[in-house]
Amino acid sequence: MTRTSLAILTSLMLASSLLIAQESPRSQQPTDFTGVQLKNKTPISNEILKVKFPRPIESRLKNGMELLVLEEHRSPTIQVEIAVPASSLNDPEGVPISSATTALMRLGTKTRDAKTIAESLAALGGTIFFGVGDRYATVRFSTLTENLDAVLALASDLLFNPTFPQDELDKWKNQQLSQLQLVRSQPDFLATERFAEAMYPGDRRSFVLPSADGVRKLTREMLVAYYQQTYRPEGGRITVLGDISAKEIAPKLEALLADWKGAGSKPPDLPLPGATKGRRIVLVHRPNSVQTAFYVGNHAIDRLSPDYIPVQVLNRVLGGGPASRLFRNIREAKGYTYGISSGFSASRYFNHFSSQTSVRTEVTGDALRELLKEFATIRNQPVPADELENAKRALVASFALSTENQATALSNATQIKEYGFPADYWDTYPEKIAAVTAADVQRVAQKYVPLDDLVIVAVGDATKIRSVLAEFGPVEEWDSEGKRVTR
Amino acid sequence: MPAARLMACLVTLGLLTATPFAQSALKPIAFSDTRLSNGLRVIISEDHYAPVFAIAVSYAVGSKDERAGRTGFAHLFEHMMFKGSDNVGAGEHFFLVFNYGGSMNGTTSTDRTLYYEILPKNQLDMGLFLESDRMKSLAITKENLDNQRQAVQEERRLRLDNQPYGKSQERFNEMAFDNFAYKHSVIGSMEDLNAAGVEDVASFFRTYYAPNNAVLALVGDLDTKTTLAKVEKYFGAIPRQPSPKPVDLAEPGIKAERRESMVDPLARLPQLAMGYKIPPASHADYPALSALGQILGGGESSRLYQAIVKEKELCTGTGAGSGARMGPSLFNVTCSVRAGKDIKEAETAISEVLAAAPTAPVTEQELQRVRTSARRSAVGLRESALSRAVSLADDAVLYNDPNRSNTWPARMAAVTAADVQRVARTYLRTDNRIVMHTLPGAAAPQPPTPTQTR
Repeated sequence: MTRTSLAILTSLMLASSLLIAQESPRSQQPTDFTGVQLKNKTPISNEILKVKFPRPIESRLKNGMELLVLEEHRSPTIQVEIAVPASSLNDPEGVPISSATTALMRLGTKTRDAKTIAESLAALGGTIFFGVGDRYATVRFSTLTENLDAVLALASDLLFNPTFPQDELDKWKNQQLSQLQLVRSQPDFLATERFAEAMYPGDRRSFVLPSADGVRKLTREMLVAYYQQTYRPEGGRITVLGDISAKEIAPKLEALLADWKGAGSKPPDLPLPGATKGRRIVLVHRPNSVQTAFYVGNHAIDRLSPDYIPVQVLNRVLGGGPASRLFRNIREAKGYTYGISSGFSASRYFNHFSSQTSVRTEVTGDALRELLKEFATIRNQPVPADELENAKRALVASFALSTENQATALSNATQIKEYGFPADYWDTYPEKIAAVTAADVQRVAQKYVPLDDLVIVAVGDATKIRSVLAEFGPVEEWDSEGKRVTR
Repeated sequence: MPAARLMACLVTLGLLTATPFAQSALKPIAFSDTRLSNGLRVIISEDHYAPVFAIAVSYAVGSKDERAGRTGFAHLFEHMMFKGSDNVGAGEHFFLVFNYGGSMNGTTSTDRTLYYEILPKNQLDMGLFLESDRMKSLAITKENLDNQRQAVQEERRLRLDNQPYGKSQERFNEMAFDNFAYKHSVIGSMEDLNAAGVEDVASFFRTYYAPNNAVLALVGDLDTKTTLAKVEKYFGAIPRQPSPKPVDLAEPGIKAERRESMVDPLARLPQLAMGYKIPPASHADYPALSALGQILGGGESSRLYQAIVKEKELCTGTGAGSGARMGPSLFNVTCSVRAGKDIKEAETAISEVLAAAPTAPVTEQELQRVRTSARRSAVGLRESALSRAVSLADDAVLYNDPNRSNTWPARMAAVTAADVQRVARTYLRTDNRIVMHTLPGAAAPQPPTPTQTR
């Protein structure tokens, strides 16, 4: 994408609200939202920049892999991602075969040992990461333009010739075991661990991190077998972003990947759970805590839900950013916390809503009461017109900021493919947001913002917050090792 | 190491390491640099890549300027800057910025306080109005102060009091500096935060939040001339104030190693922190110290990672590097000790690597990694209007050199092997260091056993 064409795409468009605004200038009377006082004297442009995300050039490699290239020349860098179908959710419970495989792929090939690999990358100014998520295993690398060929050669060596050295695996396992202990000192980890377990009990989604036991069980044979079975191109996709054209990169990739064939692993068969019923309060005792870390939520929507769009507006009003109700009330008006937010995790395998905050121990009950009050208000009352307009405008106007980094455009394009959306999904997104009404927001709030059916995870000093939490429902206790405590 | 053996070593490594291609020269970041009659320094850099712009306002005031009994005040003051002014209501600043598609924040360090916004290009007036109104007429009320005092105290709990290693990090800093300016933490003590009053806010505002004590940087899809005219319109009438008296940052010097250990009930594994006293970032040795940090602790190819994390498996992670400050600073080395390993053993092994640095050969490959890393940072700076605005404003405030990021890659490229060895010899001395051992508390839970349920 050249500068000129991008500038044309982002030329100014008058939003319909401007015409109204010109006829009836904003009230000069100060207005108030909870936690915020408006004097309405700041000069504001009511134009909303119309942003059309550039589309990558699409083609297919001879081995069947999709290739998406988004050319842009802001800086002399190129990012490449090679993704093949795979899922960490296929791992046996708590045994991190897929992530151990990705870690070891950087630690030895037929011709390079781990140290040589690290030194080469540092010399080239490149990065190479192997990762695995719920749907794809990826190798993602970035390089300065002048070093593309050298980084490509290195990345393909790591991808095709890993040796999974036993001594490197042993060292990696030791390091993981220490890290698993280290994270247990962090309240946020303890909260997400219990919340994930409450949302997805009995399946692999409940593991935020592997278990120590699972790490110990790993063997080199498991990794080798997993690598051979999984790292296959069928159904895979390559995305390229940066200082190179589709014409230049395609033959380089063809040359490297021509002999790569076959199908890999099947997607996991994990249904999306429905909302849990009733109140469940999960208290994790972390001795000496001076704050209570909350993680509050329940099941909501997946990415394919028709309610996805109104839910974006709902969340912007409720807990998406500092202008939202949760921040203005619980931080600005009440002073209970440094930060608070809410969000929807909506993908193929995850479908939960949650709100997170940390508050000083003394206001544990007061803060939770306010949080639930906000949940109740957005369910029970339509969002006022000005607040709704603010939320909708914010969602669309912030598109301008995302054009600074074309990774957003590329990830939008891959979302279209992954979820089978129409090709103009993002072009019509602003219109879809604009069409959301207060009634829509209230409807999805009643459906997805939990109140009676609710999981509340609280990490703090149980001796100080146990009785206060009991006012909100039945409390079960856990220790910070992840063990249920019977009292 | 004899020269012949060194050469052989270089050749071997050269064969193993991929050779980078010729680098295209990066165009320097172009900017205008103007001073308004009230002393406000205005730096504008056009970048028409995306329809956005960034504002960074850096005030030359940080926790170094606080007095005894008012630690944490510069940061508390930063929070007050979002609580309104003559024409902007409490919280209206962030409310408008976010509701019109932008983003913003503030941050306080020992040396400066920085405010920034990034906005769609059509909101230039909004951004300038919001920044100028608070520079002109901050709303100083007890209600606002009490409100933000609570938020800041929660921030202290979140980042420090409720986190493992938080308190020992604060204590380490107290051990490292003798001059009050850097001795106390940026976040400050709860007692001092409670003691701060509205009269403190008023006097701090008058003294430090003057146009002649700030730099305004604007980067993005802007026209320099019209932007400068708008800056003049919004900021031009804010009166200049007498320049604040510069704080003496000088340290008396360290005569012997300082060492302490602390028990942390929130920690589960020991942590080692070491600091070596070094001069300010404006000192001629700074690029070589920066290179030394990279060679010792920058990433998986570094000496400490290879020796301590990979080979001896004493730490889960390690880092080394020079902190950039206006005044005397520290070269920090850290290690999270592995479960079942002894912190003393880890310290001995790390000390061996550091002690070898004055004589161990610095390879051409190591220097090349340093140069590549500097180039990579320079490239990164070009990928975001905000990072460029912050860099221009901060470099002007801290070093009186907004061009610093343009000259940095060449300064790093000029560092020689001898420079690296020399700064290692000069600064990485046992009698020049501060050592802190953080140990898990007796009350800390025992490590999980293999048979437990999760």
